[in-house]
Order: sequence, then structure tokens, then C-alpha cells
Amino acid sequence: MIVVDTLTKKFTTKERTSAFALRATTREVTAVDRVTFEARDGEVTGLLGPNGAGKTTTLRMLSTLLSPDSGKASIDGADLATQKAAIRRKLGVLGDAKGLYWRLSARENMMYFAKLQGMNETDAKQRADVLIRELGLEALGDRPTQGFSQGERMKVAIGRSLIHNPQTVLLDEPTNGLDIMSTRSMRDLIRGLKAQGKCVLFSSHIMQEVAALCDRIVIIAKGHVVFNGTPQEVLSTTGLASLEDGFVKLIGSDEGLFA
Amino acid sequence: MSAFSFTRMVTVARKELFDLLRDRKSIFWALFAVSISGPIVVGLLYFITKTVSERVEKTTAPIVNTQFAPDLVRHLERRGIKIDAEPKNYRERVKLGELDAVIEIDPDFAKALAEGRPAKITLFTESSRDRSAPIVSKLSRELQRYSDTIGNERMILRGVAPAVARPLQIEEFDLATPEQRGARLLQIMSFYALFAGLMGAIAAALDVTAGERERQTLEPLLTTPVTASELAVGKWLAVSAVNLLAVTTSLIGFLIALKFVPLAKLGVPFNFGVQEFAGFMAVLIPFAFLVPAVFLAAGSAARTAKEAQSSLGMGASLVGMLPLISFIRQTQPPWWDVWVPVNGQYAVLSKVLRSEHIPPLDWVAMWVIPIVGVVIALMIFSRRLGNEKLLAGR
Ligand SMILES: Nc1ncnc2c1ncn2[C@@H]1O[C@H](COP(=O)(O)OP(=O)(O)OP(=O)(O)O)[C@@H](O)[C@H]1O
Ligand SMILES: [Mg+2]
Repeated sequence: MIVVDTLTKKFTTKERTSAFALRATTREVTAVDRVTFEARDGEVTGLLGPNGAGKTTTLRMLSTLLSPDSGKASIDGADLATQKAAIRRKLGVLGDAKGLYWRLSARENMMYFAKLQGMNETDAKQRADVLIRELGLEALGDRPTQGFSQGERMKVAIGRSLIHNPQTVLLDEPTNGLDIMSTRSMRDLIRGLKAQGKCVLFSSHIMQEVAALCDRIVIIAKGHVVFNGTPQEVLSTTGLASLEDGFVKLIGSDEGLFA
Repeated sequence: MSAFSFTRMVTVARKELFDLLRDRKSIFWALFAVSISGPIVVGLLYFITKTVSERVEKTTAPIVNTQFAPDLVRHLERRGIKIDAEPKNYRERVKLGELDAVIEIDPDFAKALAEGRPAKITLFTESSRDRSAPIVSKLSRELQRYSDTIGNERMILRGVAPAVARPLQIEEFDLATPEQRGARLLQIMSFYALFAGLMGAIAAALDVTAGERERQTLEPLLTTPVTASELAVGKWLAVSAVNLLAVTTSLIGFLIALKFVPLAKLGVPFNFGVQEFAGFMAVLIPFAFLVPAVFLAAGSAARTAKEAQSSLGMGASLVGMLPLISFIRQTQPPWWDVWVPVNGQYAVLSKVLRSEHIPPLDWVAMWVIPIVGVVIALMIFSRRLGNEKLLAGR
């Protein structure tokens, strides 16, 4: 269970007007502004928003990569500010960056993370075998990941984040760049996690994607939560017939939607 | 954050080493390059020394106007020097380097000699050309010897003991032991060993810092329980192991080459035994651990692998040149010389080669500086790894 309470993150960026400018002007961007929501165990929660809405930033804060400027969050009771180590053990994260070690095989990539999560050799091996089977990577498991297709790399990355069988799973745009078949198997995998009683929070900028999977939708735009409810409620609050139209209405514009 | 976990640190070190060694091509070429450089340098030294001594042995003396000094010509021939009589365009050819030196006998020579006046001989040389120097000095020595012989004969004829004209007896006593004379030539070996210690770490350090960011694996890595300091130490150990491999390979390359090249036969006595090897390792091991730590700290500051590569490459080459200062310097090195990294290592390695006594304080410098350096560099590296800007600044 994830509880997020008025989480805020600002970035300061330095800009130079020209290459020879002596002084850089600093600009402050509030990427995430008092974001509040909950994601429950046994449910899939979708974080929906257009490009630049603050989805990745929110997930990065929850995975302890960035520290919030204000606000609180906890995962299964562990406080984000004070219990980072505990949170890192509880979480499985497929973040914005999904890089693999390309000289290592799919299995070796997974095993490295298993060991860092404190698993012993036998357990890690067993778990890697299970995941490789579930993800349909049997033929590729022991090949260096160098030549893998985007979908295959995504599968290895998700296997790596689930290696320690975490209770809470954060997925940042897990279907980005996948074909229909791979998208389907990713959805099946997420449903499987839900069936196991896990708490899944995933981000997307595609309404259909979220609608197909989520019990709960949190829509954010420009760092603010603009909606929090079920897919049904998207239709009822906006009074529109299609989810996509509802989404556009809720974020207040259609810019960036189809990017 | 959680406490430092030794197990996780070892996991990181093992994975990085394994990953680095998987990169067969670049590792192979790096090791090949450092191991082949030794034999090449030793081979070159052998070749140079050999040609010099051969040229000196087979010196020919180009002489102009041989007809005025037949006795001198005979004297030189008796001393095993071939005569090249009446060379053409000799001034030009000396200038161009076709001839090392030319002896020109004055047309007045025979007459002057007979009358007891100083008889003139001109030795044409080109002093800016180093390779002619041994031949020039051989020729002038022989001319001097001829002059002395005639002088002695004259004094004996006049009933004067030749010693009268030689009030001083000047003897040179070279204190350099044979090892030291050989070592001077093979200083290059310490230069190369240090160079291997600098260059062996660059590719690996880049791979585990900028490479990790470029491959986008740092972000996933930092979502696991591993801490920045565990990562820093683990990566440092892995890169150091690769560097140590490079240093050892370069030394072994030298040793093998020295086994096959009979430098001793050429009068370059040089022995590199167990004691010298141990001395080298005692200097190079801490050095091999220091360099990666510095590179990791520097490499993590760069935004891209390319940027890191050029800055590290340039830094390493510049620092690698430091020993040249000791090479060129004519004065006694200052006391702090051994405390300057690279420079100090070079100084102590030279002492090892010369079988000189190494004061304990030098050894302190060889170990204390690297230890302090490693601690500081790793603190910087680990702080950078833990900084969220490293992710944000992609
Ligand atoms: N490290 C950073 N430095 C400066 N600004 C940043 C940084 N990271 C994010 N931002 C800004 O914060 C805002 C939110 O970015 P974020 O990556 O969270 O969006 P997102 O919802 O994940 O978008 P997308 O769908 O494109 O992935 C953007 O305006 C972005 O430019
Ligand atoms: Mg994003």
C-alpha cells in the first residue's frame, strides 16, 4: 500500500542565453505539486498524465531516487524520508531508465539485482528460472542482452525488478515501445501481480491503456492531481461518453496528449 | 541510509570485474599493448646500443691531404682504423651527416713537423649531432695519442724524461656501479610500468562510471538496497584489479624481453631479479589502487562518456609526463619529490633499478599518499553517486 501526501518536487534549471553569456539565469520548475493519492494492495492504480505532467518525477520520489521538497509518503508503513533502506527492499521498480548490462546475459542481469536485494544463490537462481519462464525468455536467458529487441529488453528489465518478489511494484510506462503482442503479455503480467495481491502503481499517457487495467486512476497535469477515482467515475464526472474525451477534459487541454 | 554491507560491496566488485573482463576485445588489446611495449623498448635499446658500438669499432677516418702525413696514416691504420683518403665535398657531407668527422691535414704539416713548429690538423665535426659524438671522440683521442707519441720521442731525443711535460696525472674514477650504468638506460622501464598503471585503468574506469550512466543502468541500480559507498568501493576494487593486471603484464613483458636480449654482452650490465621485482611491486601495487580511485572520482563528474574519455585521457598523459621533469632536471631533487604522486613513484623505482638504499621515509610516501588519496577520491566518488543530480542531469 502506497500513501502519498502532498508530495512536492521543484527543479531549478540554469539557462544561458548564449554560449558566451557569463551569467546563467536560474529558473524554477515545480514538477510535482502537492500530489496526494493512495494505491492499495490487490489493486492496479494508474498514474495518467500527458508528457511532462510529473509522472516520472513522482515515481522517482517514491523509489527514493529523488528526495521530495515537501510532503510525505509511505510504503507499507515505511516512511519515505526516514526509512529509505526498508523501502528499497519492499519495492520493485521499473523506472524511466530501463538499461541493461549488455555484456551480461538476461539471467546474469537478474541475478545481480537478486544478490543486491540480499537473496542467496539458490533462491535467486530459482526465482530467475521462474521469471524467465513466465516472461517467455527461455530461448534468450543465457545470451548477452546486447542484441535484444526493445520488447525483449523490456521483459528482462521487468524480470529484474520483480526478482525479489516485491509486494509493491512501480512501473513507469511499461508498454512504451512495445507491439500489440508484447503489450498484451505485459497487461497479463500486471493482472497476474494484482491476482497475487500486490500493489501495482503504473504510469502511462494513454487512456485506453489505463482503462484496460486499472481499478483506480490518478490523473495528473502540470504537477497537479486533477482527478482521482475509478474509470467509471471519469465518465460520470465529465458527463462524456468516451474515456479519452473525459481525459482531455480533465487535464484541461489536448496538448501533448498524442505526443 | 542502511549501514555499509560488505556482502553487497563484494557483489558489486565481482559483477563489475566479470563485466569488464567480458569485454574481451578491449581488455585483450589493452593488455597486449602494455605487454608488447616492454619487449619493443628493450629490443630498441639493444639495437641502438649494438649499432653504436659497432660503428665505433669499425670507425673509418676520412682524411684530406694524406700525402702530407704518411706517418699519421700508418699510425691510425695500426690502431685498426680504416682510412678513407681524400673524400670529396667533405665539409658539406659532415654538415649533412654523411660523414661523422673529417681530418684535414694542413699542406704545411710535414714542413712544420720537421721544423718543430706546431703542425696543424683540423678535425671537422658537427657537434649538434649526438650520434657522431662517439666517433668524433675516438678520432680526437687517436690524434692526441699520435701527438703524444711524437712529443715523447722528441723529449727522449733531447734527453728529457717525458714525465717532465706531464706534471699532473689525471685519472677518472667512475663511481657508478655497472648496475647503475645499465639502469640509466633502463629507466625507461619504470616509466613504462607507471604508464601502464595510468593507462590500464582508463577504459575500465569509464565503463563503470560514465558507461553505467549512458547505458541507463544507474537509475535501476540505485533503486535496490545498494548504497553509494558500497557501489564506490566495489567499482574501485574491480577497476583496480584490471589495472593491477595491466601493470603486472607490462613488467612480465619486460622480464621476458630481458631474458632473451643479451644486454650484458654489450656492456650494459643489468639485472632484474626477484629483489627488483619485489621492489617494483611494492611501489606499483599501491599506485595501481590509487589511479582508479582518482579516475572514478573524475569520471563521475563528466556528463558523457566522451567527455570523460577526453578529460581522463588528457589528464593521464599529462601526469604521465611528470617523470620527464626528473629526467631533464640537472639539480638534486627537492625533499618533497617522492611525495608527489607519479614523480615519487618514478624516483623510487629508479632507486630500485640502481640497487640503491631506499630510506624508510620513501616507503612511507609510497604507501601513505595512495592510501590518503584513495580515501579522499572514494569519498568524492561516493558522494557523486549518491547525488540525485547525477540522475537528473542525464
Ligand atoms: N532533472 C530535472 N531537471 C529539471 N527539470 C526536470 C527534471 N526532471 C524533470 N523535470 C521537469 O519536470 C517536469 C515533469 O517531468 P516528468 O519527467 O516527471 O514528466 P512525465 O510525466 O514523466 O512526462 P513523460 O510522459 O514525458 O515521461 C517536466 O516539465 C520536466 O521538464
Ligand atoms: Mg516520464
